[in-house]
Amino acid sequence: MSRTPGLLAATGIDKRFGANSVLRNVSLSLAPGEVHTLMGENGAGKSTLFRILAGIHQPDAGQINLDGAALDLRNPSAAYGHGIYLVPQEPALLKELSVAENMFLGMLPTRGWFPSRIDWKTIRGQAQDSLSALGLDVDVRDDAKHLSIAQQQLVECAKALLRGCRIILFDEPTSPLTGREVGILFAIMRRLRAQGCTLGFISHRMDEVSEISDRVSVLRDGAVTDEVDRGGFDRARLVRAMVGREVIFDRRRVRREAEGEPVLSVRGLAHAPVFSGVDFDVRPGEILGFSGLIGSGRTEIAEAVCGLREKSAGSVTLAGQDISTSSIGDIIEAGLVYVPEDRARHGVILPMSIRDNATAGQIGRLQGKSGILNRGREIAIATDTMRRYQVRARGIDQPVGQLSGGNQQKVVFGKWMSTNPKVAILDEPTRGVDVGAKDEIYRLIEELSAQGMAIVVISSELEELIVLCDRVIAIYGGKIAAELKGADVTAARVGAAFLGAEAH
Amino acid sequence: MKYLFPRQPWDRALVAILVALFTGFCILTPGFYDGFHGTLAITEEFLPFGFVALGLSVVILTGGIDLSVGSISGLAAVIMAILIKSYGLNTWLAVLLAVGAGGGLGWLNGQIITRLRVEPLIATLSTNFIYSSIAIALAGASPPYGFGHAFGELGTGAIAGWLPVQLVIFIVMAIGFSGLITRTGYGRRLVMIGYNRDAAHYAGVSVASVERRAYCISGVMAAFAGIVLASYYDAVRADMGDILLLTSITMVVLGGISIFGGEGGILGVTLAVMILGVLRQGMLIAGFSDMVTTMLIGAILLSSIAIKNLFSSRGFDLGSIIRRLSSLRPPERMASKS
Repeated sequence: MSRTPGLLAATGIDKRFGANSVLRNVSLSLAPGEVHTLMGENGAGKSTLFRILAGIHQPDAGQINLDGAALDLRNPSAAYGHGIYLVPQEPALLKELSVAENMFLGMLPTRGWFPSRIDWKTIRGQAQDSLSALGLDVDVRDDAKHLSIAQQQLVECAKALLRGCRIILFDEPTSPLTGREVGILFAIMRRLRAQGCTLGFISHRMDEVSEISDRVSVLRDGAVTDEVDRGGFDRARLVRAMVGREVIFDRRRVRREAEGEPVLSVRGLAHAPVFSGVDFDVRPGEILGFSGLIGSGRTEIAEAVCGLREKSAGSVTLAGQDISTSSIGDIIEAGLVYVPEDRARHGVILPMSIRDNATAGQIGRLQGKSGILNRGREIAIATDTMRRYQVRARGIDQPVGQLSGGNQQKVVFGKWMSTNPKVAILDEPTRGVDVGAKDEIYRLIEELSAQGMAIVVISSELEELIVLCDRVIAIYGGKIAAELKGADVTAARVGAAFLGAEAH
Repeated sequence: MKYLFPRQPWDRALVAILVALFTGFCILTPGFYDGFHGTLAITEEFLPFGFVALGLSVVILTGGIDLSVGSISGLAAVIMAILIKSYGLNTWLAVLLAVGAGGGLGWLNGQIITRLRVEPLIATLSTNFIYSSIAIALAGASPPYGFGHAFGELGTGAIAGWLPVQLVIFIVMAIGFSGLITRTGYGRRLVMIGYNRDAAHYAGVSVASVERRAYCISGVMAAFAGIVLASYYDAVRADMGDILLLTSITMVVLGGISIFGGEGGILGVTLAVMILGVLRQGMLIAGFSDMVTTMLIGAILLSSIAIKNLFSSRGFDLGSIIRRLSSLRPPERMASKS
């Protein structure tokens, strides 16, 4: 098991999807036993490059060599055969199967010759062993759906090792993880590196990158713009290579406390056992942070406030109007929007055009009494969205699915902001968004709040909460665990609230 | 002018198929081509399928299905016949009430699907049996017939002696449905639900109410088809609508509306109505039995879904067909997403 993999080198890789050129003459080599990180903005081609190395996509030009021998990676199992495994961005475990079944999928060992039976004893034993080796304490007979995302990623790691893969590529593993889970993942990555595995890694978070990487390659618009070895990591240099310009995002401005009547008041909101006793207010022009671990109930609370999810008790008042029992459509109409975290599932409709998506939140307003849509206003809204949020696309009739992730996120933003809400709840507005676009989104949020919109930002990133929010509410176990205001919103205090919450 | 010619590759393919099929029958089947007026008159034989297909399109666009269209049309026709024969109601009032009853039956389908959360396939399969049994029970042993000359005009009449009433109604309705889907708020919501139910819900669309109305529309159109059949035959049988389902679903799917919802339009469905209509009539005139035709239509349904699945991510042109057939690797489904 502990044989060291050879040097994996991709040279001159070109890849295009339809008219989109995603990678242009990219070369990358992963040296044995190193953690090699890819950085770059959304749409820079990082995931595509990893997918090509894992045999999921085929390059249009270029070749891949392992220790000098050319590889033909025509499908993922060919890649497994050469010891290459990709841990996807969203772990692809089959929810209804047990952990052990997932790990042995496609290679279930059998016993006897006819009728051959599946050798469950071996499967369970080996699965349990390889998980314990990674320090993951779960019952392999349990259904995969009961695992957290972090645990699913570790199961994917174990799958890689079971298949004898020694080159493991992680496509942005940390974005759905909390700080503590990232720590656990990194510990495991270090152990794998110590055992001689080669690890590929994608991340947007600068501190993570400098903590774990031996070497960093930066991609911009499908080409490698910089390569840095450990010791030469310089935040400003990497960001410049990624974005092509200087970006400043270390700022925390303390504004005076928002005054006036709260525009959104939530009282006694409950739906046992997910959340209970939730009270909070937001005032016009205020940015309120919702911090908490994934699974703390923060998303569920926000969805219940916006009428997207059942609640068993509590009242929600928007600008003096009771909206506790209103339909989602009426709530949006009254001026409260929820911008969901999962873009592809809830945010946009990928096959539909930018125009259809940008206007999707206000169909009711676009149709007259006859029910016929006002095409002129549709076009105006879509054009305005593209201009204001600088969406890069061919035109308003291009399907959203053809845009890069960052541009899709801008369309999602425009879709809800063009309804002119009084209150906007943004769930992880910068999840999986690169440094440059992140800064743009922060600026946008501040602009909207300066215009008097009340904004709630749900985030698991400390930095985001500190940079952006006037007030932060920490949620733990479905309850409000702490509230911090004004000058109290510091890394130390918010961090302490997190820890305090975790100690409950 | 350029708007007159279909822009979607799928629709263009349908035009080509229609032309080829029509020309083929004209050449190979003696007695098929009977002058311009005769050709128009053929449409009367198959447009009831088309009315059902229009209503079904709306349901299939949401990603649902309505298997009860055949029994709804039979039941609606029986209701109409009873209202006229047993209660002496004015014919057109009876027609109106029967079409309304169809809407009610469709609405019931919608209620079962959205409120009781029964899969559309199972829900409408069940109601299909229920509705058709009711129709048989109501109709009794001797099928009602003879509804008067004026009523017969609906199914067999022709304006100025050559333009079939059915065809005029169908064209007006097709334009109306096309407008409903592409131009109205309701149509937009319908398509959103078909593509991504969750995203539609998050955008404030009342998914259940849009769906209920879709099944209602399908019921109305099925009932109307039943009335037209009654007018055409000047008689009513409870099982009259049974032949409608297979051909109508095939018309919708061959027309390019994705069985998974969202994708497709009425232009394609209209073309598919003509294609399958010409095929049915042509086969009949050529002397094939109904069984052969039905078998062929079943095969067309299957292959149009298969073709759609195979080519959906690559576009539909000859090059991609050849590429696809020459490589035996499974489709690279994820490729277009990243």
